[in-house]
Amino acid sequence: MSTAGREAPAWLLRPEPGLCSCGCVGRRRRGSFLDKTLRGTTVALARVLFDDDEAERDLPLQRVDPAVKIVAAALLLLAAALVHHVVVLVALSLALLGLAAGCGVPAGRLARRVWFTVPAFTAVVVVPATFSFVTPGEVVLPLGTWFGHPVGLTRQGLTAALLLVARVGACLTVALSLTMTTRWDRLLGGARRLGVPRAIVMVASMAFRYLCTLLETVTDLFTARKARTVNPSDATEGRRFVAASAGTVFGASHHLATEVHEAMIARGYTGEPRTLARARVRRVDALWFLGALAAATLALGVDRVVLG
Amino acid sequence: MSSSVEGRRPLLRVAGVSFSYLGRFAALDDVKLSIHEGESVALLGANGCGKSTLLKVLDGLVFPDAGTYRAFGEEITERSLEDDQLNRAFRGRVGFVFQNADAQVFSPTVREEVAFGPLNLGLDRGDAEERVHDVLELLDIAELADRAPYQLSGGQKKRVAIASVLVMNPEVILFDEPTAALDPRSTRWLVELLGELRRAGKTIVIATHDLERLPAMADRSVVIDEAHRVVRDGPTAEVLDDRELLEGANLADQA
Repeated sequence: MSTAGREAPAWLLRPEPGLCSCGCVGRRRRGSFLDKTLRGTTVALARVLFDDDEAERDLPLQRVDPAVKIVAAALLLLAAALVHHVVVLVALSLALLGLAAGCGVPAGRLARRVWFTVPAFTAVVVVPATFSFVTPGEVVLPLGTWFGHPVGLTRQGLTAALLLVARVGACLTVALSLTMTTRWDRLLGGARRLGVPRAIVMVASMAFRYLCTLLETVTDLFTARKARTVNPSDATEGRRFVAASAGTVFGASHHLATEVHEAMIARGYTGEPRTLARARVRRVDALWFLGALAAATLALGVDRVVLG
Repeated sequence: MSSSVEGRRPLLRVAGVSFSYLGRFAALDDVKLSIHEGESVALLGANGCGKSTLLKVLDGLVFPDAGTYRAFGEEITERSLEDDQLNRAFRGRVGFVFQNADAQVFSPTVREEVAFGPLNLGLDRGDAEERVHDVLELLDIAELADRAPYQLSGGQKKRVAIASVLVMNPEVILFDEPTAALDPRSTRWLVELLGELRRAGKTIVIATHDLERLPAMADRSVVIDEAHRVVRDGPTAEVLDDRELLEGANLADQA
């Protein structure tokens, strides 16, 4: 074999030993943190990017103007933040789940997204608050004594923790109901109509658009490295790789940004984004807004007046 | 230059243009070129010879370090394009289809993407919507109108990128490596589209090193060598017959 007039070295012409001829196998190793993180991020992002099925359906909630939906969601979030009774927050979450289910969003998936995420992220914050040395009160689950005083989980601590979890859950249900029934470009269009500066909307829109492209670059870099790695790398080496590839990704994103800007200028862009979207508030929008206002008022009324 | 262009109006004229990136990496060296109305011209050269840079000069995206560039009789400089009227007129008359469709397809949906040019050039929403509808139908991508760019295949992105330029109805369309990374069916579609555009009287400039499909894409070929200079400008058939020239410009290998 020769290339460009040069003979290939002898080692290149010899086959390398592959699998052991006796058929024995080696010790299995678990994937690295890097592998898992990248795979997890890719799957999560792909889910967000490609899960437009519900948002594209022609159902009442999907038909509501995105600007109206954002205002309605803000009202419900405000109500959830002000309510002090777990039962009201749970009722609000269930009502939204039912509404979303009626509008084509699989209630099970929405509930899983909320109730798998909330305990995991809020537990770190709320667990210490349930102990008697953080929230003093009536100990309902004793864990021992400290200078003669019972130490454990208190009723007051558990109530506060439950309220926080229920509140975060209700807020997340509101936010996910909004994002799962509204395509992100319409959502950004709605934000624009509510007065969010054009530049911010444009940057957010393009960041979302190119997130996928850049993640693809990172995944390609990692895959190319993995394809040439025999021994799984340890965590330190993985971190070194991430640091080194950050430069490459930065270079790639800079090149892409330059090209995108040129492509915009080539079609007459002078700094003022223009879109086809028109503001149209219809009956369904007014109804949705009034419904959200009524729900928020009802939640606060029951919380403050009925339950005290 | 082909004798068939005699009597036709020169649209784009590059005279003695040199350009280097960061003042160190030469991309063009004393390039002279005239593109006439209705011509289809291929810029041929190996990777890195400066074809894409020349297209960017022709589209007023980068500006020469030396030499001049005139389009439709007006000198195109960074300063002259600050004039809103000239900028709008120039951008409306020259369209650029980038090699990397990902860079060109940046809007949230295909419909918004195709409408980007007309809206920025001052068309009202109604007219822009009508044009978008027509061009999506023409390129057979109407069903993609509400899709997001990341949901499209490479071939579909290329169609959207072309639609986003055609919708502005430019007189001159610049294509950077149009057949690169396309599957055979998309390539055939693209070559046929170029033929239709040529028959419709559009002026086409293509940067390519795809010699196989060259005769179907361009009547005239301009060869740029690895020293970033124009070494030949003539009818495509004659250029393709000159084996020594093609090998010298690294467009063909000794078989």
